[in-house]
Amino acid sequence: MHDRQTISLDSLRARRGDDAAGRLFLALITGAVLLAFLMVGAVGVDVVAESWDLLSNRLWGFLTSPSSADAGRAGVSQGIRGSILIAGIVILTFPIGIGAAIYLEEYANDTWVARLIQVTVRNLAGVPSIVYGLLGLAVFVNGLQGITGGRSVIAAGLAIAVLVLPIVIITSAEAIRAVPAPLREGAYGLGATQWEVIQSQVLPAAMPGILTGTVLGIARALGEAAPLLVIGAVGFYTTGNQDFVEQLRGAFSALPMNIATFAREPAETWRGHAAAASVVLLVLVFLINLVAIVVRARISKRLGR
Amino acid sequence: MGVTAPTAGVVSVPSLASRAVGATLELVVFIVIAAAFGVIDYYLDAVTGGLGVSAFWISFWAMAIWSAWCWPAAQRFASSFSGNHIAMLDGRPASTVTIAAREFTRAGLLYGLPLLAIETNVVPVLVLMALAGVFISRTAGRRAPWDLLAGTIVVEDFGGPATMIERSEVSSVADLQLDELRNRRNAVARRVVLSLGFTSVVVSVLIVWNIFSEAAEFFSAEDFSWSSLQGIGWFPRRGIFDVWTLFIGTLWITGIAIALAGPVGLGVAFYLSEYASPRVRQIIKPIIETLASIPSVVLGLFALSFITPQVLQPLDDSIGFASLLAAGLGVGILTVPIIASISEDAMRAVPTELREASYGLGGRRVTTSLRVVFPAALSGISAAFIVGISRAIGETMVVFIAAGGSGGAVLEYDVRQEGQTFTAAMASLGAGTDSVAGVGIAFQSLYALGALLFVITLMLNVLSDTIVRRFRQVY
Repeated sequence: MHDRQTISLDSLRARRGDDAAGRLFLALITGAVLLAFLMVGAVGVDVVAESWDLLSNRLWGFLTSPSSADAGRAGVSQGIRGSILIAGIVILTFPIGIGAAIYLEEYANDTWVARLIQVTVRNLAGVPSIVYGLLGLAVFVNGLQGITGGRSVIAAGLAIAVLVLPIVIITSAEAIRAVPAPLREGAYGLGATQWEVIQSQVLPAAMPGILTGTVLGIARALGEAAPLLVIGAVGFYTTGNQDFVEQLRGAFSALPMNIATFAREPAETWRGHAAAASVVLLVLVFLINLVAIVVRARISKRLGR
Repeated sequence: MGVTAPTAGVVSVPSLASRAVGATLELVVFIVIAAAFGVIDYYLDAVTGGLGVSAFWISFWAMAIWSAWCWPAAQRFASSFSGNHIAMLDGRPASTVTIAAREFTRAGLLYGLPLLAIETNVVPVLVLMALAGVFISRTAGRRAPWDLLAGTIVVEDFGGPATMIERSEVSSVADLQLDELRNRRNAVARRVVLSLGFTSVVVSVLIVWNIFSEAAEFFSAEDFSWSSLQGIGWFPRRGIFDVWTLFIGTLWITGIAIALAGPVGLGVAFYLSEYASPRVRQIIKPIIETLASIPSVVLGLFALSFITPQVLQPLDDSIGFASLLAAGLGVGILTVPIIASISEDAMRAVPTELREASYGLGGRRVTTSLRVVFPAALSGISAAFIVGISRAIGETMVVFIAAGGSGGAVLEYDVRQEGQTFTAAMASLGAGTDSVAGVGIAFQSLYALGALLFVITLMLNVLSDTIVRRFRQVY
């Protein structure tokens, strides 16, 4: 006869209640989640609280007036204009990213060309943003001065477009990879050429995912300040009436530049300006997200899914 | 023979001559509109300076907006006027939006680009136009660049049946071959997409070549000496380039950031992967991702206006307006979502069988998480930490705003003091470029730092990539 340990239900229940390590672990990781929530909440509340005075008193003036050394009159109109122009230039380069993603997913075999492109895209995604500023300074500001006009919003937009490129490529490639193979095979079976398959089946099916990637890209482009610093965006500047070309090729600002400049002012009053500019930037990013959600919903509806 | 094969669907493309007449008429209209604006402007005290380039810009916009009009009736009117209409390649009538996009592109290429060339007086735009011209001549009579972009074709005789698929007798192998237009398009698409893919290679080469050649210039400059790499701190304008100062700053920032983001990110990952129900996960995940979408300038501001006065100063009142500690915590917040999402992916990739085996042996949830899932996902988690470290090293704006030290930084081991990192030093150099430009090699040091940063982050990225690839092979 050998020893037999009897396990009663009661003892099991007791052990469960006794699970101190389990409860401690759960408490720790719940704490981590709560802390992360707290970070999101604190950033939001802090930014709104700091900017409340300014935004409730002169919201319109802040949005429409140019920068000024007088805190009571300073605004971010130039920053908003610069940010929108930069986003516009970035959007113009999205076809390049989507095209590269199409190549990687639809055409690339396991050749050295494809591997080279893949490796460079992955590495570019990890390069710090300020390095793209150096690239922009060398290539777009000095090299292509004839087109960009030097330290201009075109140069900044192009530098940021290059920065966003790997993000767009990677997310678009993921979206294209997720398109089910039968969709392609059906089109091939009907006699479509490879490009027709891509154009009529793959791209529409991948469009919602590609859109998500591009929106991530625009959001990144709007918030990025480090390359602008190197390229030479201006936090404060006064201008007369510029026409459109002068705006594109002359001195420029952008919302994140405004925030950085305001925030580094030692005087307490400018803190509110920085926070208010942050609110404007966050609202802008939110609006772009909203547009993407609506467009994505419309595309999905059209595809009947 | 009774077998027929479809050939190109659409026939009767307008001849080159009739297109040329139309284009000339349009050009005349363009100039007349510009002249009208010029005259009006002249009598209104010359706001834009009479018949200058700006009058042509106004004319351009007027024409672009008119021709890109999305109103179907207006488009029908325009096409009945010109005697042809715009169809898709396969002969279907084009949608109003497609027509608008095509017309807008056309106006931009035909009128906007030359204006830009005149306005800016630059060769590159002219080169671009010449290329466009070559493109037009290659596809003459059939499809212009704007048609290629919009996927349209111009068809004569508005009102007739848009599509007519002609079927011809199959009498030779050639009849069974793919229509030449489709074939050529397929080949062109392949080449275009491949060249687009090469942009990433071009960008990489440009980065490496520019940064390293400029950095070499820094090291070979006359007023550079290796002894200037050591000193009391980082003061580029005074010729003191003590890299150790920046290294210590970077080390502190990265260390603090990972000390905050590591445990929090890992905890979030454990919760999302092992504990949360799908519904809870659906709520929590977007909130964590929100953290990733906050611009870093905003977090820099947050470090200054919240972390320093509300968190740090109550604990230690010797901490000033800006400090390495506050900046490090700010960077940490930025790193949390990166570590959380990559670690979570790694944990979710662990096969369910391993967990079930653990439960079957009586393992508790905590045991399963820590003793089974964690070791199995370890390589992915370490990759997450490496990516987090690389991001923390490369983060610029939080440190630039919240760590102070704009003119330079004294060598400082105390985290409660101001300091600079590689990136923040680059940002300060960049922000003051105009005043630095004439000051010896200070500006070139920007590139030396950039090269160092590039090498460090590249090595970290390659390392994490290698780890991830090995970890993929396990399952």
